[in-house]
Amino acid sequence: MQYLKKDDYRNYFRDVFGISEDILKNYHFYETRSSVWAYSGDIAPISEAEVVGVRALRVRNIIKPTTSFLRIIGKYATKNVIFVDEDQGMRFLSGESLSEICQSLKGYVVVRTASDVLGCGLCRDGILISQVPKKYRPDSTWL
Amino acid sequence: MFEKYSGIIPDFESFLKAVATPQPYWFRVNTLKIGEMELVSRLSDKGFIIERFRNLNAYKIESMPVKHPGATLEHSFGYYYVQDISSMVPAFVLDPKPGETVLDMAAAPGSKTTLMAALMKNEGSIVANDTRASRLRALGSNVERLGVTNVMITKGDARTMNFKNQYDKILLDAPCTGEGVIRKNPKHGMPGDREHRYFSQLQKSLIKNAWNHLDTGGKLVYSTCTFNPLENEEVVQYAVSKLKMDILPVEFPVPHVRGVSFWEGKDYTDISNFVMRIYPHLLNTGGMFIAVLEKR
Ligand SMILES: C[S@@+](CC[C@H](N)C(=O)[O-])C[C@H]1O[C@@H](n2cnc3c(N)ncnc32)[C@H](O)[C@@H]1O
Repeated sequence: MQYLKKDDYRNYFRDVFGISEDILKNYHFYETRSSVWAYSGDIAPISEAEVVGVRALRVRNIIKPTTSFLRIIGKYATKNVIFVDEDQGMRFLSGESLSEICQSLKGYVVVRTASDVLGCGLCRDGILISQVPKKYRPDSTWL
Repeated sequence: MFEKYSGIIPDFESFLKAVATPQPYWFRVNTLKIGEMELVSRLSDKGFIIERFRNLNAYKIESMPVKHPGATLEHSFGYYYVQDISSMVPAFVLDPKPGETVLDMAAAPGSKTTLMAALMKNEGSIVANDTRASRLRALGSNVERLGVTNVMITKGDARTMNFKNQYDKILLDAPCTGEGVIRKNPKHGMPGDREHRYFSQLQKSLIKNAWNHLDTGGKLVYSTCTFNPLENEEVVQYAVSKLKMDILPVEFPVPHVRGVSFWEGKDYTDISNFVMRIYPHLLNTGGMFIAVLEKR
């Protein structure tokens, strides 16, 4: 795989989520065919690498942030952040959509509780649609 | 079935007792994402009873309100990693620092890779390699869950792979017959002599390629989770005598013994006092062998 260094993707996180340069400068962004990877290592990615840091964005048709990367930097977001309570949070993590929560927000948002970043949500027509991948959905036996 | 080791494992009766009982779970806090105190208090509030080992980020679970220690939201958020303390030791001993360049030749599922990344505060680089696709997927998801961003994952045979760089530190947590984890996976049968000899050869090829990629003065930690000296002292002696590496004493504050001096007619006294063996009955853990080597 070819990894093209494109640090311009920092602008995405700055513009959409208001994350400061101070945080973003810790990462270099590398583009592959359909993803952008956030990598804080300092040796250049080799073409044999299957994974470089953490997948930060999917970029095939539209640009979409990943829950994994938002769980790393989402706590520094100052824009497009939605705070939910624990009950709403569990529903969101389980993949449910939540109404009356987006207010005027549109597009991708960081969804969090007071203590944890839960992941990526999408606000569309006032509804918060969970973008949390299945692998991160809680099981009913979990505490 | 462990009878053949009665002459090398001290307090053999206690050893047999330990391997016949289930092994407690341990975890470490993923300091890339949360502070130790905060996580400990969250798990305690949920009803976990845990005990910290000395001043290490290593906690034994005495009892828990869930069937599996990973069945919590905190685990899914990547706030902790379930890992036996014996398996943490090789990474602690390699002691990677922020900014260093580290190669983890047989890394999946990433217990030690993710611990090293935490010690490095996600600064510097780790190349984490393995051969098996299914295990590489587990490595990828652990790296992602724990928020490790300084790792590059490669798939290749570490005996021959060109890792494209020289490294300050290398971890060779070698594929082995796994006698030390039989306790955890009792379905894993007892290996025979042929397997020990096969793995010994494989491990020598791996350590040779580790040497190729190590900077002069660089540090290599060789570890296995098995007891047979052919996979342990024998491989380390090969590195010292054939690759001309220096052996350094392994120091770490967990209960352990030194290496085996004589086995099947071979004399390992040149290296046996430097290496560390962790046996299940010493701290009620899995088994581990650890050696530290330096490239001249
Ligand atoms: C003891 S396990 C590694 C455990 C890992 N270091 C951890 O702490 O999570 C050994 C690994 O070596 C891998 N392996 C076996 N042969 C290999 C080879 N020739 N090159 C690289 N890796 C190999 C296996 O797939 C296995 O994942």
